[in-house]
Amino acid sequence: MIKGKASYPFETIALAVAFSPRLEALIAEAGRFASIFQAKTVFIHAGKISDEKEKHLNNLLNHYGFNSSNSVTEWKEGDAVDTILSICKKHIVDLLIIGAVEKENMLKYYMGSVSREISRRAKCSVLMLIEPKLSPIPFQRMVVNGHSHSKSVHSIETAIYLAGKENLNNIIIVDEVDIPAISMSIADDNTAPEAEYIMETIIEDEHSKLSELLSSVDHKNIQLKPNTFSGRRGFTIGKYAQSVNADLLVVNSPDHHMNIFDRIFTHDLEYMLADLPCNMLIVHSRVF
Amino acid sequence: MQTLSQLDVVVLLASISIMLLASRMFAELGRRIKLPVVMGEMIMGVILGPSVIGYLFPGFFNHFFPETGNVAVSMNAIIQIAVVMILFVAGMEVQLPVVLKQGRLAIYTGISSLVIPFAIGFWITWMKPAFFGLVPGESQIIFSVFFGTAMAITALPVIARILMDMNLFRTKLGMLIMASAMFNDLIGWLIFSVVLALMDNGGIGVGLGLGKTIFYVIAFGIFMLTIGRKLLNKSLPFIQSKLSWPGGVLAFSLGLCFLCAAFTAGIGVHAILGAFIMGIALGDSVHLNERAREIIHQFVTNIFAPLFFVSIGLHVNFIAHFNLPLVLIVLLIASVSKIAGATSGAFAGGLDIRNSMAVGFGMNARGAMEILLGTIAFKAGIIHPDLFVALIVMALVTSISSAPLIKLAMQKNK
Repeated sequence: MIKGKASYPFETIALAVAFSPRLEALIAEAGRFASIFQAKTVFIHAGKISDEKEKHLNNLLNHYGFNSSNSVTEWKEGDAVDTILSICKKHIVDLLIIGAVEKENMLKYYMGSVSREISRRAKCSVLMLIEPKLSPIPFQRMVVNGHSHSKSVHSIETAIYLAGKENLNNIIIVDEVDIPAISMSIADDNTAPEAEYIMETIIEDEHSKLSELLSSVDHKNIQLKPNTFSGRRGFTIGKYAQSVNADLLVVNSPDHHMNIFDRIFTHDLEYMLADLPCNMLIVHSRVF
Repeated sequence: MQTLSQLDVVVLLASISIMLLASRMFAELGRRIKLPVVMGEMIMGVILGPSVIGYLFPGFFNHFFPETGNVAVSMNAIIQIAVVMILFVAGMEVQLPVVLKQGRLAIYTGISSLVIPFAIGFWITWMKPAFFGLVPGESQIIFSVFFGTAMAITALPVIARILMDMNLFRTKLGMLIMASAMFNDLIGWLIFSVVLALMDNGGIGVGLGLGKTIFYVIAFGIFMLTIGRKLLNKSLPFIQSKLSWPGGVLAFSLGLCFLCAAFTAGIGVHAILGAFIMGIALGDSVHLNERAREIIHQFVTNIFAPLFFVSIGLHVNFIAHFNLPLVLIVLLIASVSKIAGATSGAFAGGLDIRNSMAVGFGMNARGAMEILLGTIAFKAGIIHPDLFVALIVMALVTSISSAPLIKLAMQKNK
């Protein structure tokens, strides 16, 4: 039963297999995650099975320590996104790993590439890797969204779980204060010091809410570093993650089914999907 | 080239100076008792205009604020530019992603708070055109569509301020009100632009025909909000980092604003539509530096907006045209239809009745947008001075009463 299952631990992970040049690196990354999470792994290929492809994949899987006791391979023809997501549902996958390019070309982005569509529609957490490595290394710096939303606590807890597995000492939690038209309405009727004071108060207020939230989370000896910024939600955290050279950005899953209008009038997750700042983990809180 | 005489220049500059200094003084006084700045500016206009100074000292009034001649033409041009810039800044405050994020509830509230006041306003003026001052022989459909739109519009800046003062900005309720107001503004100004196009009151696009004009408007809107936005996103980082600051971004933004305004004026729709859509495209960009946004806003709201709001009082005698029954009826129709529309929309969207009522009271604030709409309609000859004064009074009363009414609904909520 997927609905209601906690977003972590990652007991079953899956890798979306495309026979691209990055396949081996992605399998290597999947091997590392399977090992640190002690997880069963499902390899999913949405496409026709052929002897050549099967042999190539089996060779790679054997090379990276996968066998029939710790993994399953699913071959199924059909729409790539629907197929991958239905197989994830069948195996109650907790974490789906996909390879993704940092930036899609404009047409592909608007039409919806497979990796972006999966990240929008998945009912499990999705890890998008932009630079999978043949010799994978643990994540060094994690940035996690912490804005006022009921899903954020699940993203933070999942990030703590992952950080624990990666032996990280700390993670950065970012709250973005995004209030439309605020600066203009403040500037209209206030003196400059008053306007500055109001903005500072709003930021401080949000920061104390974030600190309060973090104090209620079981951080498992991992230091949680709260940061609060004013800016457009999704865009600001992406830029921040880039500025601190984060190698993993952890964010909430979208609240509703994202469609082309969300791409045209970009907001939240779509800012990041338009230009991935680094690897990204989209945490699906299945309690909602 | 025809130029202003030295005396014309002196009078023009002096009148601008009087308008700016006097309105700022009143706005600051009003601010101390928590009145919106626009109200102070308007009161100053009424005092300077035929209602007070013009009545007591007609010589002074006619010298500095003449109705005809070079100074009047020049001042009129400045006011036209001011209107375009005010709509540009209003567009910058509309964030379509906010509407999209709020989803079904915002769409329900936005549509209901637009359709119900529009329908009631249209129907009442259609049934009783003479009471509202429709001159026989003039187009009743344009008059009724205008009045419906005037009932439907909401003032985003006033709402933003009220929500901030009440610390409701970051709540779901606050965001819903903002999103619905943005939706109202967008559709309201689109309808009003079509009304003005129906008037066919000049422009090189005269003769395009309504179908072609609407096609161009839609194509322009789609272009600006898609490809136009992408192009802005690409060029803004360069402009803000490589060109002189803030001159580069100011010239770029206002240059594009006037270009878009010229385009819509050229296709036979009022210039305000181009400026408004350009404002949305620019304001929505995450690449527009927050400081640049503030500078553009301050430049327009502190220099050009006061000139416009003061000028309203200069052309109308508010005392002579104050028609109490009309004022009360307009106020009643506007408030009842807007509150009922927004409340029922929010309730249908799933909000409880008390919160839905708070949304209704919040959306009832009309503020500067209503004044702007009324002024353009008045100048275009769509409405009579009595109705214009009634709309202004309604805009002011709804703006002042909105916050206490939201408080009342929220108190009952607790």
